[in-house]
Amino acid sequence: MYPAPISEYYLPTTLEDAIRMYKDAEGEVTFMAGGMSLMQAIKSRLITPDCIIDLNRIQELKGISIDDNSITIGAMTRYKDVAAGRNHLLTYEALCDAAEHVGDRQVRNRGTVGGSLCWNYVSACTPVASLATGAELEILRAGNGNTEKLVIDDFLRGPMETALEEGDLLLSIKLPKSSAAAGSAYKKWGVVKDALPVIGVGIYVELNSTDKCCSARFAVGGLADGPQRSRNAEQVLMDGNISDSDCLQEALVAAANEIETVSDPWISAEYRSHLINSLGAEVLETSLNLARGRLA
Amino acid sequence: MKKQISLKVNNKEYQLEVPNRLLLVDLIRDELKLTGTHQACTFEGVCGACTVLLNGEAVKSCMMLAVQADGQDITTVEGLENNGELHPLQKSFNENHALQCGFCTSGILMNAVEFLNDNPDPSEKEIRHALIGNICRCTGYQNIVKAIKEASKQL
Repeated sequence: MYPAPISEYYLPTTLEDAIRMYKDAEGEVTFMAGGMSLMQAIKSRLITPDCIIDLNRIQELKGISIDDNSITIGAMTRYKDVAAGRNHLLTYEALCDAAEHVGDRQVRNRGTVGGSLCWNYVSACTPVASLATGAELEILRAGNGNTEKLVIDDFLRGPMETALEEGDLLLSIKLPKSSAAAGSAYKKWGVVKDALPVIGVGIYVELNSTDKCCSARFAVGGLADGPQRSRNAEQVLMDGNISDSDCLQEALVAAANEIETVSDPWISAEYRSHLINSLGAEVLETSLNLARGRLA
Repeated sequence: MKKQISLKVNNKEYQLEVPNRLLLVDLIRDELKLTGTHQACTFEGVCGACTVLLNGEAVKSCMMLAVQADGQDITTVEGLENNGELHPLQKSFNENHALQCGFCTSGILMNAVEFLNDNPDPSEKEIRHALIGNICRCTGYQNIVKAIKEASKQL
């Protein structure tokens, strides 16, 4: 496999240059992040860009930072750094869980969380974990040059579709610092270890001091329609008594019932639903325990 | 269509003009004639045979364009030895019979070198987890894992 001819390749070091280069470029132009999915598409000629603008040298898009109110993950932060960032990501460890098991070491060394969100592949892990955390995405709109914030639910559309329009850039993933006792987790199951998930489940919970769940987000990936939340499961967790295992079981059954699964030649729809339940049980327990450990 | 780039490979400086679409693995093999870096899956980037170090980090050179390596520091398997002396990991592969056909070996060595830098005393489970990106179709993993474990004691 070999890419089709590429007329221009640019390697900007600032965001400003990247945007200017995009505007000035001719033909089909694409931004490149880690390239772990994009290079496959370019090599198989699914995409034949005339011009590539490589974002790998733009320092301002990289790294995790924390201020008084929020945590910011630059879109060009690599999986490796997110996986190692538990101390910085606080209650959002679901993102670390996901990053830790993406592909393999070589992919985690190069692939970026922002790239994964923008590609929004049906069985990617980052979109699901981000949906679970309720992340806010900072986007630079090419049309008017404004920066806009979108919640992850509005950013992710169908498979391989997002709210990004021609020339828009994802700048960062923003996570509010939680004042409640919160915790999150993500786990996937694939046909081989660390493979693309058949099903991946991400959960975020916030507890108040009486071990009552005041906020929950239950996200599932590996679905034909892209990552989805189970609002029914979330409602059960918020209405019920989370110290009671029946309540947790009810939430898991609600998720497996609500989320539509389909069969493919390898995995049946029934087994996918079973995975939502069984992975969900583990992820729910982990996230509740993390949150309980943070109760004052 | 073409770009002038300069890069360092195994501590040697190169300046060359390459087509934008040239893959890094093809630059290494066909232009620099460093054929220790192998190429197998050619598309998905799943086999790991083309793994090299980019600024000290293991990456698959078939998943990058050569132009992306402009100004960067690359190490291939040829760069592991030191003045004719094999790297401890290479010696350990030899001593533990960690290669059968040898096709996957260079990629595994380059991945394992960086892995051992990060994790100098890995468990067998950690070694196996680290090898997910490298396929050995002789399926000789048992001795590969053993060789990496043994090398960790030497380093």
